[in-house]
Amino acid sequence: MARRYFHKAKVVTEDLQFYTVNPISNRVERKDIEQLLARCGLSYEEQIEAFVVCRDGNELVACAGLQKDIIKDVAIDPDYRGGAMSLKLVSEITYLAHSRGLDLLFVYTEPKNAEFFRGCGFYDLVEVPDRVTLLENTPIGIRSYCAKLARQRVAGEKIGCVVANANPFTLGHRYLIEQAAKACDWLHLFMVREDVSLFSYKDRYYLAQENIRGIPNVTLHEGSHYMISRATFPCYFFKDRGIVGKCRTAVDLLLFRNHIAPALGVTHRFVGTEPFCPTTNKYNTDMKVWLQEDVSKAPPIKVVEIERTQRNGLAISASEVRRLLRKGEMERIRDMVPPATFDLLESKYAALARPVTDT
Amino acid sequence: MTLRRSMLFVPGSSAAMLSTAFIFKPDSVMFDLEDAVSLREKDAARLLVYRTLKMPLYDGIERVVRINPLSSPFGHDDLQAAVRGGADVIRLPKTNTADEVHELEAAVAEVERDCGREVGSTRLMAAIESASGVVNATSIATASPRIVGIALAGFDYVMDMQTTRGDGTELFYARCAVLHAARAAEIDAFDVVFPDLNDEEGFMKEVELIKRLGFNGKSLINPRQIELLHNAYAPTQEDVDYARRVVAAAEQAEADGLGVISLNGKMVDAPVVENAKRVLNRAAASGLRK
Amino acid sequence: MELKQESLAGTLESSDLFIRISPSDEPLEVVINSEVGHQFGDQIRAAVVETLEMLKVTKGIVIVEDKGALDCTIRARVHAAAMRAAGVTEVDWEALS
Repeated sequence: MARRYFHKAKVVTEDLQFYTVNPISNRVERKDIEQLLARCGLSYEEQIEAFVVCRDGNELVACAGLQKDIIKDVAIDPDYRGGAMSLKLVSEITYLAHSRGLDLLFVYTEPKNAEFFRGCGFYDLVEVPDRVTLLENTPIGIRSYCAKLARQRVAGEKIGCVVANANPFTLGHRYLIEQAAKACDWLHLFMVREDVSLFSYKDRYYLAQENIRGIPNVTLHEGSHYMISRATFPCYFFKDRGIVGKCRTAVDLLLFRNHIAPALGVTHRFVGTEPFCPTTNKYNTDMKVWLQEDVSKAPPIKVVEIERTQRNGLAISASEVRRLLRKGEMERIRDMVPPATFDLLESKYAALARPVTDT
Repeated sequence: MTLRRSMLFVPGSSAAMLSTAFIFKPDSVMFDLEDAVSLREKDAARLLVYRTLKMPLYDGIERVVRINPLSSPFGHDDLQAAVRGGADVIRLPKTNTADEVHELEAAVAEVERDCGREVGSTRLMAAIESASGVVNATSIATASPRIVGIALAGFDYVMDMQTTRGDGTELFYARCAVLHAARAAEIDAFDVVFPDLNDEEGFMKEVELIKRLGFNGKSLINPRQIELLHNAYAPTQEDVDYARRVVAAAEQAEADGLGVISLNGKMVDAPVVENAKRVLNRAAASGLRK
Repeated sequence: MELKQESLAGTLESSDLFIRISPSDEPLEVVINSEVGHQFGDQIRAAVVETLEMLKVTKGIVIVEDKGALDCTIRARVHAAAMRAAGVTEVDWEALS
């Protein structure tokens, strides 16, 4: 139907059609999307799973893509900007996400373009000055999450935090948590929530619960979208070009420093040294910058690195456990993991031992 | 005498247009629950149209609601929203037979009774969009005393005829058939939507044609066309001067108790007087042609 | 009306509003962001709350992005969103009139 009757735009009336495109199966549409993005100075992001596009007659004039819960490649032909197009486009991408079971959505944008999304029902989560702003499509997302966390606040001078994927939980994790708990009045342990690892979130959470028994001053928390998630730390979960790739670890760490740490009163963040995984290693290095240095108005958080435990001269790592699991070397695993992990591996995962894409 | 020159289509899912379209002052506004509304928005559009009808936004403008066919999963729910909301007219799409009008008439009466609205107060309009609809136009036009008009809808019709929209030749028979059915039934007749939103010249050419044929007006999707259409239908000063003299002569004859009206020494028939009244009515509504 | 799933209704276009309703075990929480909030905030909230009351929705989280919607639009959008969240397809016309 014709729109834009009420805007003094260059085009007075037009026959705008919005619809969904699968860019993987529809090459014709994809080519038009690529051309529109190029006209707008953007590059096509391969990981996008679905687009909402708008055509005026035969002309593709706007698009917005969805990669899980992140909105990407939002482009509007210059002739159609300034009117209702942006609002309609963002409405439609939100409906598309909803139909895919996703309601909390995120968008990365250059800080100078953040206003566009603020006008479309998005709210700032964090800004890395001059580089990137992350926004979410709710005014109460991070606020109500932090309000819930604040209820689990424990008084103390030295409040620690560990964020772990624990894929799976090893003796190394147990050692790190023990040492961290000893070093502070209270420790908050968060499990990474994203279900993209070999071990499901449910299993990883269960193992954390079992394996921290006996440590008196620790609270185990559910993970969330706001902590090492696809949204806050995309590079951890998929290779990314463009703006999302550039921001690396800063968004996740600033979000922790500005919102999560103040809610719980966290003063220290503990990490294990990371000799094997370059992504995690980089994360640990960046942590010292974004949590400790003068890059945020929020108080600095001390980063404490704890040397990994060794077994037979080798540092224990979850990736080594996964490697052995695939080879079926269960007995060697026994030395590296607590009994609860071993039992679960043996009963549930040993039979599945075969090459799996892991993180 | 209700003027129905312009019937502006407003998508029932568009809150923006529902809450502002009255500023264009069409004779009738048609809130669409059918083709302009996606499947996802059928439920929400129904509620929006209902709430909009309940507001006094469209005072002085006839409010028509186009429902989905009663055979679709949406038709009866649409009818609830439209009749309970207080729509002046229900427009039935894709009407092929008089029976469909009878079915609609019964369904409307039921809702009227349920919601305490005066039975018979909801008017009907049938849109003819197929060859069989055109062939049955006469029986459709006379199917119910509630019917105030029939409308030809071009898009589906030309597809049914295995042709496409062109210079109007493709609609020639359908226009004549629908118009004759309407005139014989003494109801109004509406022409198709002009499809090219930016072709003003083509629009005016089509308006001249349908006005000459005798249509009461046209369905529109572009509000900018309303003024053009009303102006084309507006009488000239000359038309008005003549009509005034005809009406004055008729009043004179009545005052004098004469059965015969004469103007400038010639006898004037009743249809001429009716026509003159129509001209004055149009002049009052839209002023003189510019 | 018991809310069972997250729902959306409306658009971000001018004169409309975009509403998101989520089920929750907590009493109704209504968050409204409006371009005309300083002037009409109370009226918008009243229209939202009254509509939810009419539908007997007592729990849930409601987030409204208002773009200058008329009262009738607000009520229609809230109604549609609540029905979608509750998985109800039949409008209770009697309750409405």
